[in-house]
Amino acid sequence: MPSELETAMESLIKVFHRYASKEGKTGTLNRRELRELMENELSNFLKSQKDPAAVDKIMKDLDTNGDGQVDFEEFVSLVVGLSIACEQCYQMHMKKTGMK
Amino acid sequence: MESAIQTVVKTFLSSTRGKENLDGKAFKKLIQNQLGNIMDDTNSSSAIKEMQQGLDENSDGKVSFQEYLTLIGYLANSLSQSKTGSNADAS
Repeated sequence: MPSELETAMESLIKVFHRYASKEGKTGTLNRRELRELMENELSNFLKSQKDPAAVDKIMKDLDTNGDGQVDFEEFVSLVVGLSIACEQCYQMHMKKTGMK
Repeated sequence: MESAIQTVVKTFLSSTRGKENLDGKAFKKLIQNQLGNIMDDTNSSSAIKEMQQGLDENSDGKVSFQEYLTLIGYLANSLSQSKTGSNADAS
């Protein structure tokens, strides 16, 4: 039986490919697919996702090889970035509530 | 997807048991408990030790959150590749 962590990784992969296969090249996210993914899957994490400039900026940051597409490897940096932000929130939260 | 990210973070935080980094023992436990199905050699202590050293970019003998994410990213990449590979074979 897969563990929690394995299930989580699998769902990240599934989400990416679900959006990546919508249009254009399958296996990569174009700008529109990235926007849809952010709107539908990350609406709580990225409150500014409605701002078109924010999508452009994130796209530009992620697209390290500059081909106008976000491949899975580039998508992983988004997940890593969000995890780091999420971890810092937890740490702050734990400090505030007073750790046991 | 947000809950998946939370699971990734929480798994690390609960494995460190209040400390900032994973020491050798905690790392081994995390690998064996959480990644036994997608990784080979999780029963081999030396393989885990080797992996830990490979991740340990700052060579402090521990696995930090950043270094742990490197592992997750690497595993996700190879999982994704094997998935798309097998899809291409099937079609």
